[in-house]
Amino acid sequence: MSAVEQHKVIDSRGSFCPGPITDLFKAYRSAQLGDVIELLATDPAAKADVTAWAQKSGNELVDVIDEQGYMRIIVKITKKRG
Amino acid sequence: MQRVVVIGSGDGGTFTANLLASELHDEIRGGLASVQLVGEHLKHPFQPGNLDVAFKGADPEKYVKDETELLRKGVDFIQDPAVKIDCASRSVTTKSGRVLGYDFLIIATGAVADPSKIPGLAEGSMNFHTGGESAERIWQALQKFEGGTIVVAIAGTPHKCPPSPDEAAFMLDEFFRKRGIRDKVKIQFLTPYPRPYPAEKISKVVEPMFQEKGIEVSTFFNVDTVDPKERKIYSLEGEAFDYDLLIAVPPHHGADVITNSGIGDQDGYVPTDRGTMMVIGQENAYCIGDATNIPVSKSGVVAHLQSVVVAHNIVAEIEKSQDLLEYNGRINCPMEVGQRRAIFVSATYTSPPTDQTPSMVKYYMKRSFAMIYWRALNGSLERIFDLFFGKTRFPLSKPLEPEKKIEVKVTEGGKTNA
Repeated sequence: MSAVEQHKVIDSRGSFCPGPITDLFKAYRSAQLGDVIELLATDPAAKADVTAWAQKSGNELVDVIDEQGYMRIIVKITKKRG
Repeated sequence: MQRVVVIGSGDGGTFTANLLASELHDEIRGGLASVQLVGEHLKHPFQPGNLDVAFKGADPEKYVKDETELLRKGVDFIQDPAVKIDCASRSVTTKSGRVLGYDFLIIATGAVADPSKIPGLAEGSMNFHTGGESAERIWQALQKFEGGTIVVAIAGTPHKCPPSPDEAAFMLDEFFRKRGIRDKVKIQFLTPYPRPYPAEKISKVVEPMFQEKGIEVSTFFNVDTVDPKERKIYSLEGEAFDYDLLIAVPPHHGADVITNSGIGDQDGYVPTDRGTMMVIGQENAYCIGDATNIPVSKSGVVAHLQSVVVAHNIVAEIEKSQDLLEYNGRINCPMEVGQRRAIFVSATYTSPPTDQTPSMVKYYMKRSFAMIYWRALNGSLERIFDLFFGKTRFPLSKPLEPEKKIEVKVTEGGKTNA
């Protein structure tokens, strides 16, 4: 667990697959355990992609919130090598 | 005198300089305009040829020409790489210290494949993204390979030529079938994406073919490290695979000149308007091809189509015309799938890739690109390309001016500024 947990917001609105998931992976690469990543996406496929990634990787999908014209997909980093 | 400086002498830079030299022929002759192309290398490679070098044993020299042979009269080629761009003073400084002033700047500095970004990757893997010599080493290794596990991994995104990792797997399959030892070779494909190809419709074509050919896939594999001694590749997600031969697409970043000039994002790509190709926040500066931060394929076709828009708009600006264009995000990435068949991954910003059926016609069209590439660079095939690609640009719907820089929407500490 990192000393100070971070909450990062990544804006992938307007970007289509694989843009949002690629942006999430960039944030994941620099994240620490306990960090929260909030992905803003307009591409409907982002929800399924992030859900599948969280399930496979053991990270936690905290919430998916529908906003006007976009989604907020919130992930907590609970598994990362190293 | 209108001075146009193009930085980077790859596909996009060379083509744009040629288009401008053609369109501004009279102005250049009359001393009213100049087109300077600033590049590092005298040798100009056809980069997609690296796949044939790596997996079919083609001679890398077959895919290289002298840059000077490719340029139209009127282009002043300066073989002296740019090391600094100063948008405020509208100047470019080269390695030798020469300072070039510009009225219009086109950044076409490409993307750099850099295996050093992943611990162990440079020592433990081979690749076909860092040049013909690297690709040739894969071919040499394949000659000696008698059996075991070959891992094909995407070690960073975005990367040049999105279909190339899938093509590599297909071409490996074909290579070992021809050698008659396919049953002794396991091909393992590792991708960070949710499926074998990022675009769902294309993946629906690729996935059954991978299954049929026995190419095994592991998704959501973001490469963390490689252990060359143990011959193991690890993901951030905690998975690991053993390999006997690792062929990996290295992580990419923008050119050093972009980072050193303070005009790139965190990966060294230039924030660029996806329609006009103007550099965001800068006057009279454009960016094309792999150097941009636009989430569109890093490929020669994209650079080519963007070049047409940029050259057209610069000429319009010089001629004080309102006939301005925007790029519509058209991509066209051929993917060879074995047995002399190929598909084309085609899309625009608003139309995702559609279903494809692998065909021999597309395979031979792909092969023909290698032959016509050199002629395409001087702009003499544009009518054919316009017919083939269809709509790739449309009239500009807003004034041609740079978008203002916006704050990066990344916050820390739980607050959203979206």
